[in-house]
Amino acid sequence: MDPAAVEGVQAARPAVVLPAFEGPLDLLLHLVRENKVSIWDIPIARICDQYHAVLERMEELDLELAGEFLVTASWLLAIKSRLLLPRPEGEDDDPRAELVERLIEYEKVKRTAAVLAGIEEVRRGIEAVSLEAPEAPSERELDLADVDIIALGQALRALLERHRREHPPAMEVPPMRYSVREKIVELFDLVTRQRSFPLLSHLLTRPERLESVTFLVAALELVRLGSAEMHQRQAFAEIHLTATGTPLAMEALGDV
Amino acid sequence: MSETLRLQALCEAILAVAREPVVAEALAEVAGEGVTVAEVEAALEQVRCKHEAEGSGLVVERVGGGWRLATRAEHEGPLRQFLGLRSRARLSQAGLEVLAIVAYRQPITLPEINFLRGVSSAAVIRTLIDRKLLAVAGRKQVVGTPLLYRTTREFLVHFGLPDLASLPSLEEVEHVAGEGVSGT
Repeated sequence: MDPAAVEGVQAARPAVVLPAFEGPLDLLLHLVRENKVSIWDIPIARICDQYHAVLERMEELDLELAGEFLVTASWLLAIKSRLLLPRPEGEDDDPRAELVERLIEYEKVKRTAAVLAGIEEVRRGIEAVSLEAPEAPSERELDLADVDIIALGQALRALLERHRREHPPAMEVPPMRYSVREKIVELFDLVTRQRSFPLLSHLLTRPERLESVTFLVAALELVRLGSAEMHQRQAFAEIHLTATGTPLAMEALGDV
Repeated sequence: MSETLRLQALCEAILAVAREPVVAEALAEVAGEGVTVAEVEAALEQVRCKHEAEGSGLVVERVGGGWRLATRAEHEGPLRQFLGLRSRARLSQAGLEVLAIVAYRQPITLPEINFLRGVSSAAVIRTLIDRKLLAVAGRKQVVGTPLLYRTTREFLVHFGLPDLASLPSLEEVEHVAGEGVSGT
């Protein structure tokens, strides 16, 4: 290692501006570049110190990434210590070899990524053109030669099925069995005879809902005509219908 | 209309209604008796040149193993504005790195990608799969049988590549501007 370079570490500690590093390899590449040294002869001691210095300043490092950075930090220390020890005779493996290899590989990745980024930049915003074309028919189209009795039957079944789908059974409207007019007379009679008629109980005990409804409408009509009054002490309590003494004026009833 | 012009017009029309890149073989099949794939390719190339020469708003491009009709990149702003869309998110640096690794070394496993990048790339892979740029390509028959990943046709379309062989070679990549460290 060049002693001058080692000395330079303390003197000119580079003011590392911290861009976002993708990972430890990214940071190492950055340091190698900053120091303007050859990747084939990395001054490990210097780079290792700077790496640790950067790591210390990376306060808001997320945990997962921090782990990766620390693993590499210890790896660097291991390489550094191996470089300091005298190498056994006959072994001329550079302890930095694997680091160099990985840095070079990673640099290739970065360059390729840059190429892709360039392509993406140019091609951003290109949209495929696709006119609205008619949908492909989902059923097999019948060739006349294909029409046999089975196909005919299938066609009929499909037709009936579609007809059934498109024409659901109509809603049934039962005939009007109760007339409001009739119920008014009936109610008026009941009210006049009983003075206070329990309307709610009466409604609830009708066997048919339709009849209850008709009764309710009739009761409301009676009140409107002034022949009866309705009282309820609280919600859902019994509704009392009482006669007012006003005779029933059916001609004022109108069309019900 | 001459036979060549008819074929050109037909190819253009089909590209206009196709929902994804169309291979020349599929065009030749519907172009009529005796029309060869080579003739279709030539016609498509002619249509492409015509669009280019006229400065048309549409371009014919060869991507993802087929041909397609597309808008021009420079119209992105107004087009997106017209459609009421936000501009598309660019790929992150991490995403580009993973794509670069997979594109050149596929099929490749996550541990191999992690090793090359020096960081875990699991989340990035998920994002790229969500964006349909990467797909699973089986499992590697080694301990743990990790999943193998490959790039998709969508990847080719996204980067305007006819096929994987058209990726810039690593030698070409070497010459990309940027301060390299391994050049010395």
